[in-house]
Amino acid sequence: MNTKIIRTLLNKEMLDVFRDKKTVIMMLVVPVLLYPIVFIGALQVMAFINSSMKDQEYRIAVETDDKGAFLDWMMQSGEQDPEEGEATYRITAVDAAAAGIGEGVWETALEAEEIDAYVSVYDSGGRMQYDVYYLSSVTNSSYAADLVMDILDEFREDLTRQRIAEEGLEAEEILEPILYERKNTASSEQSLGSIIGSVLPLMLVISLLMGTMYPAIDTTAGERERGTLETLLTLPIMNRDLIMAKFLTVAVIGMVSALLNILSMGGIAVYMYKIMDLQTQMEDIDLMRFIPAILVCILAVFAFSLFVSAVTMCATSFAKSYKEANNYITPLMLVMMFTGYIGFIPNLELTQGIAMIPVANICLLIRNMMVFRIDYAMTAVVLLSNVAYAVLAILFLSRIYDSESVLFSDGKGGLQLFERRENLTKGGVPTVSDAMFVMAVTLLLLMYAGSILQLRYGLAGLFMTQMLLLAAPLCLVIYTRRDIRETYGFAGAKLQAYLGSAILGVGLFLVNLVIAAGMLRLFPNSAENIETAFSTVMGDNMAAALFVIALTPAVCEEMLFRGVVFHAIKARHHAAAACTVTAVLFGCFHMSLVKLIPTGLLGLVLCLVVWQTGSIYPAMLMHFMNNALSVVISFCPEQIGKVFPVLYKSSFSPAEGLMLMGAGAVFAGIGAAILRRRSDTRLVL
Amino acid sequence: MITADHLIKTFIRNEKRNKKREINAVDGVSLRVDAGEIVGILGPNGAGKTTLLRMMSKLMRPTSGTVSIQIKQMQVSDDIEAKRHIGYLSNNTKLYGRLSARELLQMLGVLYGLSEQETAKRIEVISEILSMDSFLDNRIEKLSTGQTQRASIARCLVHDPEVYIFDEPTLGLDIISSASIIDFMKRERERGKTVLYSTHYMEEAEYLCDRIVMIHQGRIIREGTPAGLKEQMGKESLRDVFAELINMEGMPDEH
Repeated sequence: MNTKIIRTLLNKEMLDVFRDKKTVIMMLVVPVLLYPIVFIGALQVMAFINSSMKDQEYRIAVETDDKGAFLDWMMQSGEQDPEEGEATYRITAVDAAAAGIGEGVWETALEAEEIDAYVSVYDSGGRMQYDVYYLSSVTNSSYAADLVMDILDEFREDLTRQRIAEEGLEAEEILEPILYERKNTASSEQSLGSIIGSVLPLMLVISLLMGTMYPAIDTTAGERERGTLETLLTLPIMNRDLIMAKFLTVAVIGMVSALLNILSMGGIAVYMYKIMDLQTQMEDIDLMRFIPAILVCILAVFAFSLFVSAVTMCATSFAKSYKEANNYITPLMLVMMFTGYIGFIPNLELTQGIAMIPVANICLLIRNMMVFRIDYAMTAVVLLSNVAYAVLAILFLSRIYDSESVLFSDGKGGLQLFERRENLTKGGVPTVSDAMFVMAVTLLLLMYAGSILQLRYGLAGLFMTQMLLLAAPLCLVIYTRRDIRETYGFAGAKLQAYLGSAILGVGLFLVNLVIAAGMLRLFPNSAENIETAFSTVMGDNMAAALFVIALTPAVCEEMLFRGVVFHAIKARHHAAAACTVTAVLFGCFHMSLVKLIPTGLLGLVLCLVVWQTGSIYPAMLMHFMNNALSVVISFCPEQIGKVFPVLYKSSFSPAEGLMLMGAGAVFAGIGAAILRRRSDTRLVL
Repeated sequence: MITADHLIKTFIRNEKRNKKREINAVDGVSLRVDAGEIVGILGPNGAGKTTLLRMMSKLMRPTSGTVSIQIKQMQVSDDIEAKRHIGYLSNNTKLYGRLSARELLQMLGVLYGLSEQETAKRIEVISEILSMDSFLDNRIEKLSTGQTQRASIARCLVHDPEVYIFDEPTLGLDIISSASIIDFMKRERERGKTVLYSTHYMEEAEYLCDRIVMIHQGRIIREGTPAGLKEQMGKESLRDVFAELINMEGMPDEH
């Protein structure tokens, strides 16, 4: 490392980045100006609405079929002087009949906002019934209805007390035979901290992503787009110095931007606290108690910004233009943001295991800090693991900057989806950009349309969701005039490829069973969720379940992941990279922390099968075997449970776990061996 | 002096159905440019000129073969060290638009290991040679095409290299701008510098180069002095020599 060179390059990168308006706006203007304006503006508007509602005079027409008892009560309570700090609204109650807004007319009066609420009074089996009519679509009317309801409560209580007194009894003893109260023993700092602790991590993740995104793109893909990368390469400097300078630029900007965000939000929080403190008497909060937590948070921001910068730069370094880089970074940002929500999951503890999971570890660490649960060993693990991942990512980055095929590529890899169709050359596989874009679109479809369809139509909804997964990428492939057979790997495979992958599928299923049990131990809260979700979807028809849960995903998910995504990456990068990226996406795609590793592993092996056989069909068979096994197991507990009771346990003893693992490994090994054997018999589909 | 010894650069191209095809963009090129000499590389598009020059200037690693640089009878072995003696310019070496020419040159000075005073002095000299005074402090993105190209040449001059490698330096420039670049190369030759450059302009090559190397499909098909080549082929102009040779070899196949 040559510090002088790194410093010079860092200066240059900083100058370059800061002279770019886009970055400056994202970094400074948004946090420093926009947040306060939006927040305080919203606060002002709310306050204005609130006060105008309270200053309002509400006209309420009341029927007098109870001899005017309630009308009198209302008039009295309307005349009462408001107490100190109380609302200053006025209620004008009128006799409906006298004011000419009686039966048959009041609807129009309410509609025309001549009155804000109408109280109809009638006898309902010996007791008086009061119905309050209002328009929920009109703010004043619904507010008036709320007020009338409150007055009705008082009215009823007053009547109750009168009746009890008439019987010669003590009203208090009857109405409130016992006294109770809820008392919070958490300090007010802890209560505040628990709120901040769930919100802050997400804000931090988002602001860091926003802050690093532009400099990461600018220093990598932007540099290439502007054609200055080759200029840099003519200089007598080492690659690692160059990368270090770029990395430091992005990390520093990310840190500054995240800190500005936090300061700005913190400022708003303090401001709001002061305002509330003026209005209502709040418990004293000693902000000084948060100082150690804040210091650790700042450290966490530093470590985390190293991680985020390095990872985003890895993604953007492959891109040749801003547009392309945006496509690569979008799925990454989605995954990180989702993980950022982990702070909102109750009862999730920061364990040794989670302390190693990027993003999740920082979120939980900050949450713990904010409720004053400080574990220095765990803090160290979290911070160090972030730094370690950053180092790994930088090493990867230096591989990219060493690869001539990346540095000098021709720039034909961008998003083609928005090109004119006739300008596209026929054949080949989709670009990585296109694949990532369609991946993001399908993920959104899955989240919105998918969950609605599944809630609404159950198994059929699941089938429809899978069809969406099939249709979206297929549209892309057809529109961009790609070669369908090549994109999806529709090619004949050897007979033993099918046999091998089916056996491999069974083996992997057993291994995954143990892994899933292990994951459940780490995240015990997710267990029930998964099981109930699974059984509601399954229904009671095994054939239908097999079709929708095993066969359909085997076709649709394979065509998306092992088809479009895998082949798009593999055509331009090393096959190992294609396998890894596809597997990670496949794991994340199932949107479950517990299933992340098993599905990721399944995805990886499926990629390897496609790579090995050059055909997608064996992978489809293997995917089908995997899903079918879980369907069959859950439908036939009696038959299978007798022979293999171990399959129905949610946690295994070490011996059982080892046995399953071993059996799985043997199957997988046999499958893989068959798969790899050379032979000339091809089963052409 | 810069020498290329049997350079080969192989690219792997993805074809249909997982097949990969190897293509030799540069296929066994050996050449030598002495100090005080200008050698021109001529060749049709896709002949491998840019790849050859990238390897000669140590931006790309050859698949096989070597590039060696000798400065005053001393062999420069290290790639990073070699870059200190090379000034490389191509259409892909753009400048940082958001910096001014002076800021850029100052930064480069440090990166080439010059002191602040040395850099300042160099900037003065370069600005004088290329008459850049009027726009030295303007942001590069605001400069005209000719001014930008002068700034680009200034970039190659900061460290006063012994070897210049220019890939089509006059492409798309008007007569005045390209004349100033040609004058510059001639002047550097007088100073005993080594100049290797590629161009599509035959008249320019004929006028400027001591020797011409014609390459086609990654191979050298003919080399010699402009006069010698014309005599060999029995043609009036270098343009005819070039057309004749390419015709004989056949156009590169597009696959």
